[in-house]
Amino acid sequence: MKEKTDVLQGTLALMVLKTLDVLGSLHGYGIARRIEQISGDLLAVNQGTLYPVLLKLEQEGAIASEWGASENNRRARFYRLTREGRKMLQAETQDWQQTAAIIGRFFEVKAEDLP
Amino acid sequence: MKSLRRFFTRLFNLASRRAQDERLREEIEDHIALQTAENLRAGLSPIEARRQARLKFGGVESVKEDYRAERGLPLVETLLQDTRYGLRILRKNPGFTAIAILTLALGIGPSTAIFSVVDAVLLRPLPYPRPQQIVRVWEQAPDGHRMTLTDPNFEDFRAQNHTLTALALYNDGPESVSGGSEPARVNVGAVTQDFFTALGVEPFRGRAFASEEQIFHGAPAMIVSYGYWQQFLGSAADLSQIRLTMDGTVYPVIGVMPPGFNFPPGVAAWVPREFVYGVSTSRRAHGPSCLGRLRDGATVEQARADLDSIARRIRNEYGEKVDLTDAAVAPFADAMVGDVRTALLTLFGAVCLLLLVASANVAGLLLARTSARRKELAVRVALGAGRGRLIQQFLAETLALSFAGGVLGILVATWGVNILPAILPANLPQQQAIAVNTPVLLFALAAILAVAGSLGLFAAWRAGAGDLHETLSAGSRSHTDAGSGQRLRSFLVTGEIATTLVILVGAGLLGRSFLRLISTSPGFRQENLITMEFSLPIPQGQAFAMDQSFIARQVHLTDDILARLRAIPGAETVGLAGALPVAGGDDLPDGGFLILNGQKPPANFDEWDRIAQNASQVGKAFYCVAGEGYFRTLGIPLIRGRIFGDQDDLNSPHVALISQTLARQQWPNQNPIGQVIEFGNMDGNMKPLTIVGVVGDVRARGLDFPPSPVIYVDYRQRGMNVNSSPTIVMRSAGPAGQVVSATRGIFHDLAPDVPVKFSTFADEMGGWLADRRFLLLLVGLFAAAALALAAVGIYGVVAFSVTRRTQEIGIRMALGAQRSDVLRLVLGQCGRMAAVGVSIGVVASIIITRFMSSLLFGITATDPLTFVGLAALLSLAALLASYIPARRAMRVDPMIALRYE
Repeated sequence: MKEKTDVLQGTLALMVLKTLDVLGSLHGYGIARRIEQISGDLLAVNQGTLYPVLLKLEQEGAIASEWGASENNRRARFYRLTREGRKMLQAETQDWQQTAAIIGRFFEVKAEDLP
Repeated sequence: MKSLRRFFTRLFNLASRRAQDERLREEIEDHIALQTAENLRAGLSPIEARRQARLKFGGVESVKEDYRAERGLPLVETLLQDTRYGLRILRKNPGFTAIAILTLALGIGPSTAIFSVVDAVLLRPLPYPRPQQIVRVWEQAPDGHRMTLTDPNFEDFRAQNHTLTALALYNDGPESVSGGSEPARVNVGAVTQDFFTALGVEPFRGRAFASEEQIFHGAPAMIVSYGYWQQFLGSAADLSQIRLTMDGTVYPVIGVMPPGFNFPPGVAAWVPREFVYGVSTSRRAHGPSCLGRLRDGATVEQARADLDSIARRIRNEYGEKVDLTDAAVAPFADAMVGDVRTALLTLFGAVCLLLLVASANVAGLLLARTSARRKELAVRVALGAGRGRLIQQFLAETLALSFAGGVLGILVATWGVNILPAILPANLPQQQAIAVNTPVLLFALAAILAVAGSLGLFAAWRAGAGDLHETLSAGSRSHTDAGSGQRLRSFLVTGEIATTLVILVGAGLLGRSFLRLISTSPGFRQENLITMEFSLPIPQGQAFAMDQSFIARQVHLTDDILARLRAIPGAETVGLAGALPVAGGDDLPDGGFLILNGQKPPANFDEWDRIAQNASQVGKAFYCVAGEGYFRTLGIPLIRGRIFGDQDDLNSPHVALISQTLARQQWPNQNPIGQVIEFGNMDGNMKPLTIVGVVGDVRARGLDFPPSPVIYVDYRQRGMNVNSSPTIVMRSAGPAGQVVSATRGIFHDLAPDVPVKFSTFADEMGGWLADRRFLLLLVGLFAAAALALAAVGIYGVVAFSVTRRTQEIGIRMALGAQRSDVLRLVLGQCGRMAAVGVSIGVVASIIITRFMSSLLFGITATDPLTFVGLAALLSLAALLASYIPARRAMRVDPMIALRYE
């Protein structure tokens, strides 16, 4: 169970970074909505798991946050990507694509393909 | 880098926890509000919209938990939490907490105090530069025993070796030094030229000896210790005007040694040995000690081989004129510590065992409490506490306990270290360095952590044993679990009994040795003896061989003093000798004497050596100057012949008395009276001695040595040279204080420059017994503490078991068991523990006490009486401790007991 959260957290972090990269400053709910829209089920429930990830990213310096007003005029915490976060996103994206490519190739291989 | 930053942020977060919690709460609320608004727009009812929003958000609490875990340092946070919890639990059980803390303090305090002594004496390097290069050197006899050096052999060692940068002779003895603020009897060291170089220490003020001061008949010069300089010279900055008088010679003070320089131990001043004694040519007259400093890179082994080869050369060249075969070299530190090591390690062993007993006792307490807390633990486990968390909680609790105990213990140790100097034997080296310092505190910390760690893990292990869930469902209590806990407690107590027996046996052996020692007769009556040790000035150059005229002056003065002393009211008998037996036994010189068998006495030492080559003509004995009154005063019996009399004077034939042991050794089945002997190597007087009497044996060198062979010579014929420590003994019926003040006046009248040390024989013996008494006192104390702890431990186990078995006892009584049966039942449990514990303890003691056999006197390390007696004592204490709960068990009312559940 723990391992699964780790994977989820890793991918979630990447999704958060990408979302902020695309949409700029956003509050927690906004990020959750956006991820939900794109990923479908992944965050349909347990949106709350987003917040520990946000905190982790902030502590790593990838994102920064400040208080602002949300669309319904409530005080809300807005997150934005920092320069460090942008670098991290680039690196992670590359990593991810590499990993995905390798895994993808593995899945394509059939027994008869092997020499 | 990233992780470091996270760590610091987390550390910061730890401090701002509350604000962070608030922020999350607000964010969550905001999130749910936004989702609710969205749901409302989608057409849900307000209640449903909010419900859906919450559902979608997921478990708020688990998010909070993850958030917190991400935010802070969970380990520290839970540790703080556990510590707080532990402290609360400890506060809630003040009785348990107080007992546990006191018990641990009882273990940690003494071990810390004793460690401070071990650290200062055994572990810390000596206060000299590169102390590992300093060595002690001896000549070694064919039978392997180490001898002090002779001047010519030393000279050869010094000149011919390749492994030492410095080699020096030194010796020390009590002297009268006047010229300071008051005359004082102090120890003065006589040292050869490289002495300070070998130790690597220079005077802190003034200068070291110059070469013209280090020759016989050279210029006198004296260096004083920092202590003497402060006490008697008023810390004078200008030394140029200061003159001190010793043995009639006036010495300018040329230097002051730095504070803390204390070698030979207790010495107040140093003079050049060459100046005082000259250089003897005898290769058999051993006397001074020797130390040296190794060359860089040279080892002790190499130095030994080097000096060995020189010793063999000497042997080849001089044959029977020398008595060495090779040389012995040992690190200075080892030689300094010597036999103190065994005593200190014994003491340290005893405190470590005490700490073990104390820890076992606390472990027993924890165990009892753990069984009572199983339900609480089960609830915690059911709520999701992991094994690690449980262990952590126990560790937090035991840490709090042992830190409290440790701090209390350190306070006890600090206090102990302050009073230790009062009871430490004076011959313990480096004792000024004993303090509660960083290494000692580190030791205490290590002890605290070790105790906390082992107790915490032990308690957690016990708490985790068995099925906790069952505890929860089993209702009131589970007998099986309590049973195994009880077995473990019995096991602990058995171990405690065994350990306690080891300490008890150690203390018992020391105690019996002590009793044997003080009940050993020294060979004379010890009661009501007042002693006066003094030293007479000896003219320069006559330290060894004295002029007839000077001897006559000496005799005149001492006879005057003795006559006046005899006239004091209350003085029964008064006598004079060259050393106080037993307590001052180390001051007695010994050496070989010649049995002349009608031969012409030797005219010089070359002839002396020639006669000595015939082994049948050489005997070995202690040399003691005495007067006729000495034997009467001490009550040493005359066995045959006569004692010194008025007819024995400077001009009459010189006479000697011998002790019974010497008579038996040297002239078995013969009459030694009339034998003529030559002992001029002791006082430079070649006049032969005729044996005129045999006197009773005296344990001259100490009660722990067999009676020594002694040759007594008459002080009125031979005088008292540096080999004697003149001591007047007086038996008096009157109160010692009055008599002493009267004698003080007499000395003041007749010899105002002669400082006298007044004492009583009982006090001198007390000083002589000090180190044994110190060891016995401390080990005895530790043994008593261990015994008390063991008794408490036994009481605890038995009492707990009686409470647990109340119902069973009720049933037994209802079925007709008598009170005596119940008593037997309870005591039986204790008896089993005691029997097993004592058996293990006896075996362990036999193994361990062997190491202290050098500290024992008159008994072996496996003395059966000690073993049996202490095993019985311990068993009795165990039975007494369990008798209290046993009585409670006997009074159990079957009806109440049966309803007890």
